Amino acid sequence: MTTKQKRKTERSSSRGVSRRTLMGTAAGAAAVGAIGGFPAIVRAADPIRTIGLGVSIINEIQGQASTDLGFPVRGQALGYGAMFGKMLNQNDQYEIAEGYFNDMDVFIPSKVWQPIDTTRIKEWDKVTNLSKTGKLTPESAVGQGDAPFRHLWLDENGERVDGPSRYISMVPAWHNADSIGYNPEETGRKIESWAELLHPDFAGRVALLNVPQIGVMDAAMAVEAMGIMTFKDKGDMSKAEIDELINILIDKKRADHFRAFWESFGQSVNLMVSGEVAIQSMWSPAVTAIKAEGVPCIYAFPKEGMRGWHGGLAISAKVTGKALDQAYEYINWWLAGWPGAFVARQGYYMSVPENVKKHLEPEEWDFWYEGKPAAKELPDPFDTIIVEKDEVRDGGSYWDRFKNIAVWNSLMTENDYLVKRWTEFLTA
Amino acid sequence: MAVSVSTVDSTSKPPGDVELPTTPDDAERRVPPPALVGGTPAAPAGFAAVKADNREGGFPTLWLIAPATLWLLVFLVLPLLGIIVFSFWDTEGGKLIADPTLEHYRDYFYTEGFFDSESRNFLTLSVFIRTLGSTFYFTALVMVLCLIVGYPIAYFLAMQVGSFKWQMALFLLCMVPFWTSYLIRAVAWLPMLGRRGLLNELLLLTGVVDKPVSFLLYSEFGYVMALVQIYVVLGVGPIFFSLAKIDKAIIEAARDMGATPFQIFREIIGPLSLPGVAIGMIFIFVMLMGEFATAVVVYGGKASTTGTVILNYYAIANYPFAAVNALMLMLAMMIGVVIILRVVDIRKEL
Amino acid sequence: MARWTPERRRRTWIKGGFSVYYVIFLVFIYGPMFAMFVLSFQGRRGGTSFPMRGVSLHWWEKLIEPSTVGDLQGALMRSLILALIVMVITALFSTMLAMAFRKRFFGSDALFFTVMAGLMVPGVLLSLGLATMMRQLGIPTNWWSSGLGVHVVWTLPFGFLVMMAVFNRFDARLEEAARDMGADEWTVFKEVTLPLITPGIVAAGLFGFTLSYDEFARTTLLAGANNTLPLDINASMTQRIRPTLFALGTASTVFSLFMIGLFLVIYTALTRRLR
Repeated sequence: MTTKQKRKTERSSSRGVSRRTLMGTAAGAAAVGAIGGFPAIVRAADPIRTIGLGVSIINEIQGQASTDLGFPVRGQALGYGAMFGKMLNQNDQYEIAEGYFNDMDVFIPSKVWQPIDTTRIKEWDKVTNLSKTGKLTPESAVGQGDAPFRHLWLDENGERVDGPSRYISMVPAWHNADSIGYNPEETGRKIESWAELLHPDFAGRVALLNVPQIGVMDAAMAVEAMGIMTFKDKGDMSKAEIDELINILIDKKRADHFRAFWESFGQSVNLMVSGEVAIQSMWSPAVTAIKAEGVPCIYAFPKEGMRGWHGGLAISAKVTGKALDQAYEYINWWLAGWPGAFVARQGYYMSVPENVKKHLEPEEWDFWYEGKPAAKELPDPFDTIIVEKDEVRDGGSYWDRFKNIAVWNSLMTENDYLVKRWTEFLTA
Repeated sequence: MAVSVSTVDSTSKPPGDVELPTTPDDAERRVPPPALVGGTPAAPAGFAAVKADNREGGFPTLWLIAPATLWLLVFLVLPLLGIIVFSFWDTEGGKLIADPTLEHYRDYFYTEGFFDSESRNFLTLSVFIRTLGSTFYFTALVMVLCLIVGYPIAYFLAMQVGSFKWQMALFLLCMVPFWTSYLIRAVAWLPMLGRRGLLNELLLLTGVVDKPVSFLLYSEFGYVMALVQIYVVLGVGPIFFSLAKIDKAIIEAARDMGATPFQIFREIIGPLSLPGVAIGMIFIFVMLMGEFATAVVVYGGKASTTGTVILNYYAIANYPFAAVNALMLMLAMMIGVVIILRVVDIRKEL
Repeated sequence: MARWTPERRRRTWIKGGFSVYYVIFLVFIYGPMFAMFVLSFQGRRGGTSFPMRGVSLHWWEKLIEPSTVGDLQGALMRSLILALIVMVITALFSTMLAMAFRKRFFGSDALFFTVMAGLMVPGVLLSLGLATMMRQLGIPTNWWSSGLGVHVVWTLPFGFLVMMAVFNRFDARLEEAARDMGADEWTVFKEVTLPLITPGIVAAGLFGFTLSYDEFARTTLLAGANNTLPLDINASMTQRIRPTLFALGTASTVFSLFMIGLFLVIYTALTRRLR
């Protein structure tokens, strides 16, 4: 453990506690009774129900929304599988779906969400071109796969259309670019390429993400970087490409290259902290979490580019009338900046950076978005110090990071086949 | 109890009507129960049979089974029929289309290149069948281990612990880990068995090894051990119950007649505890066949079980194919349970 | 009695051997929980794996504060209430079913395998099947309605098999004797049957409680707007996992051990008074 990684004691938690208490009261208005949902609960007002992952469904966020908006917003956080199933099969049980663009090949045809009218999204013009055209800056490269702009535009009936239109599938919100996390003390060298994920030096100390759709992309980035295989479109591989890739992976697995396959954020953190793996495919905030636990971890910025993903806010097809107005209010609130600043302190980016800037301290903005050294210690959203003075965020500025997205998380046409072959890989 | 007194009154018969069996032999005395597994034809059909049996006393069967049957009908049979139906349906973009097809079943069984001697898949079974096979392999292995590890515990509780009070307390002690959510316990596997885990620390401290070993976790060894650890108690319970019922006088009598401990076990304790063993093995069998979480957490996802396959297809909204896998799994489980019950007919043996 | 000494000594040895094995067994099945106990006292900068970063009660304090993701306390309450309801229904249904199965009746094979099917149908699909059905009928899902429904489907076979075992070794002559003396069915049940099968009923109920409290897959689409504890924990894993979970696990273990102790005390007091 380097001295640099040694953490200062946590900042006085008095502010956090008082806010929590406040938040508790706000949430209390939404969920009357300690055990919400039991029969005969009388609610002050029908809440707006929103479901999603723990990335965006955080009590502080929905609590703040309830306070700011004057009507209760109730979040239900779920794991990925449970969230996906509920969004698709029970759109009468939520008003807002905090979903992900890589699932749109399922959600757009299923029509469980309604087309969103951009004229009702106040800050629509301020939403960056990353989600509208795939190019954050004019010179950016457009990544392969399910980039938001490929699944954004709809007509008023919810059918896909090319290019900008008045209606959209989902309002783009939080997003990030993933790559490889590694412990520099264990790898002994700087990691600058996806190829390192399959490098024999790290045999037995590598972990891969065990979500077939995403894990296969990290593997594809690796074999492409190694120069042993190329893909026409990593976001939509052909059966032959999947076969070739999986066969390579099976050989690697038989040679005991992989220590484990992880499925949840927390699992990936623990694998690195406990010293089980030296290098693994990883999500950026997990790297922050590992460092917060005092273990050195660097987020690689591979030359081949990163793997992006994009979340957003959709409205259930069942929502009408006053609830629909409130749903739009909630979405507008998300774009207005406060929640963007909240998720920024965990390392996520928002689609309207200029509004986020208003809600961050200048030092925070410089660190999280500009990629500059921290001018002072910085806290996470829960007032725990997670950034040392002078620390620099791996991967540089927001604009640097997102001008080189190699591929976006995707649901491929051959997805069923992929899952089948992935099963074979795991069984091998 | 939900059974109201009035329903009872209507069926209670004056004692004179009852033909009291007098033979002390339990098995002889009672009406032989119907075969559970279709080995023997089921009892004469119709509720007349129930009526006829009522002369033995007891609450009316219909009232006893009605609540549970209704419950199962609503919450199990109907959804299950739904699953069977949509296993034949087509799917498009996560939406089920009522367009009957056998495609999913074909995909389940058929491997491209099975008959093609040039192909990698020549004479290779489909990955789904192989996964079911490996799930079964681990299940069988762990069942045997659970029996070996768990039987002495059940024997200890039933035969060596004197009072009911302590039997219950010591048995409950075995249940305590279950009252911590398995999702929490799952997180604790890594700090227990990992390179820097408690067990490695202990091994280093005692000098058994000089550097941390990694085979404890994310290995077949760790996986099997974890499964035994999680499920063994499910087997201990029923075996303990059946052993506790054995009349100790019989054992004493056998001992007085000079029977060796081995003979006592083979002739008395073993056979009499068989139903408990069967029930315990059924519990462990079905739990293991449906297992998905432990493979992820303790084996590091390095094996697939049919449970994980179902979850993977569920996660990409291919519900029909998930259903096909689920139905095949159920079929395998059903066969397994039938085999266990063939070996030991829990209703006849006792 | 000197001539019995070798025999008695042998028995003591056997009992001692079994006791040692039992203790080893306990250590084995408590397995990862030891790491859980230790790590629940993790320092405030530490996580859910070693190394320890100091020692603190921080995560125990967090246990009573509102959580970041989800609603740990509410979910815990819901899961406990649900598990208690499931426990009662499981005990009740499995007793009734097992009593019915003492006799042959039409469709007993079919019913037997229907009950067993509850063990076998994979949870997520049962959840999906029922959720789809309820949606067609326009019935909302809730943890205390549809959630309860599938939980009982899952726990019933366990309780049922336990009760089958109980009844099959049951001496029906006692009941008949009571009937001979003119007792009606209800009295026979209350005075003769019930006292004899109570341990079995308790066991069936315990299975119900334990399995329901831990159930995740079946609840995914059927809990409605409020998470049960396993759903909540699952959701919290999309964030950093905090040692609060271990504090919760340790707390529930300590609570369980306390309840067993309480059982011992109460049972001792009761039997003493009966004597």
